[in-house]
Amino acid sequence: MKTFGLLAGMGALVWLVVFAAMTYMGKSSAMIVPVAVGFALISVWGSYYFSDSLVITMTGAKIIERDENPELFNLVEEVCIASGLKLPKVAIVQDSAPNAFATGRNPEHALIAFTTRILEVMDRDELQGVIAHEMSHVANRDTLVSAVAATTAGAIAILSDMLTRMMIFGGMGDRDDRENNQNPIAIVVSLLVLILAPIAALLLKSAISRKRESLADATAIAFTRNPAGLRKALEVLQADSTVVRQKSNAVAHIWIESPLDGKSVSKLFSTHPPLEERIAILRNMEANPLN
Amino acid sequence: MKSTLIIVAVIALLAIWFIASYNKLIRLNISADESFAQIEVQLKRRADLIPNLVETVKGYASHEKTTLDAVISARAKATSATGVADVAAADGQLTTALRGLLAVAESYPDLKASANFLSLQEELSTTENKVAFARQFYNDTIRSLNQAVKTFPSGLFAGVAKVSARAFYEIENAADRNVPNVKF
Repeated sequence: MKTFGLLAGMGALVWLVVFAAMTYMGKSSAMIVPVAVGFALISVWGSYYFSDSLVITMTGAKIIERDENPELFNLVEEVCIASGLKLPKVAIVQDSAPNAFATGRNPEHALIAFTTRILEVMDRDELQGVIAHEMSHVANRDTLVSAVAATTAGAIAILSDMLTRMMIFGGMGDRDDRENNQNPIAIVVSLLVLILAPIAALLLKSAISRKRESLADATAIAFTRNPAGLRKALEVLQADSTVVRQKSNAVAHIWIESPLDGKSVSKLFSTHPPLEERIAILRNMEANPLN
Repeated sequence: MKSTLIIVAVIALLAIWFIASYNKLIRLNISADESFAQIEVQLKRRADLIPNLVETVKGYASHEKTTLDAVISARAKATSATGVADVAAADGQLTTALRGLLAVAESYPDLKASANFLSLQEELSTTENKVAFARQFYNDTIRSLNQAVKTFPSGLFAGVAKVSARAFYEIENAADRNVPNVKF
């Protein structure tokens, strides 16, 4: 439900930007709002609808059949029975860093992928925890949640960009409207809003992503009732310093361990909660199984 | 005019609420059936693995007759059981017998190293997990079903929907059963 609050925050931000634009440029600038939202909708929802096939191209994942890795399929089937979800497509990414991700617009089009390395370094229980975490993203429809977040953040970015350009070139601004509205404080404030909004949108988007990661950890334990498995898996990821060779930052948020952690400016901008924090929560669950 | 509209609206809302509660009960009942079927599928898979396992172990440890016989008879009971309580009891016995067999296998290095045994062991442990998860899923479903049947107001429709509270799938705890009788 906190995710809902954050998404509402995103909506409020869009509204604030529109308001600022209207104060600064006059009412006629409102017409660019549908354009920006439209652009963001088309780009993000295209990638949401085709998320499974798109992510495969972006990460170089290869879909495998049961007989290519029966042991992995056994584990995936176990988690499917525990969660009541359909068997997803399973894919392998050739990579020397241990990692995994899930995608797909709904449980019927779900895909979960593992790097070759994670299959080598993790034992049965640890992999089961990782699979449960990924299947939780499927069960919680996190591809949809992040698509909504990306749409609003994208719309804000496009909007601020267009408006800043308009200010510089002063072209489309409606002279009459503008001269009627010369309160200098309002103009300074709206300018600030336009500049800061994309950063605020990015912060909100990251916060949503972090919330969904914590939620996926919790849901995973509801499926397997085995916090130790996922906890050990996260410890393996923590001990390993290699990161996946990313072809694109656009898909950074989908991995179980963020490939961008090291580069992140601060916790506020990272897409995942710190591993230590996630491990501590799971340890606490092990100690108090009734909570 | 206005009061007629209000009455129509109230009736419509009541109808929607009735349909939603009724459908919820039916849905829960169906998923209880489905999740019990899933338990049975996994139990069948496990039963199918056992003859092969017994043959493999016999090849290396033919004199472990009591352990092998325990597995065979537990399997026979498990395949003929019907109804939630019987299936659950037979499942519990077979699980205990299989654990005994795998413990025995530990003392035969040749058996443990054989490729056939290794693949059987993987199949058996995944099926064991699947049985456990199917059980867990079934019991969770039964919990929501029983809650819906026994609480107000959803329980009002249990009779109309012909849905009633159902039994949990409880396997006897092997450790509890083996508690010896204490005599003074």
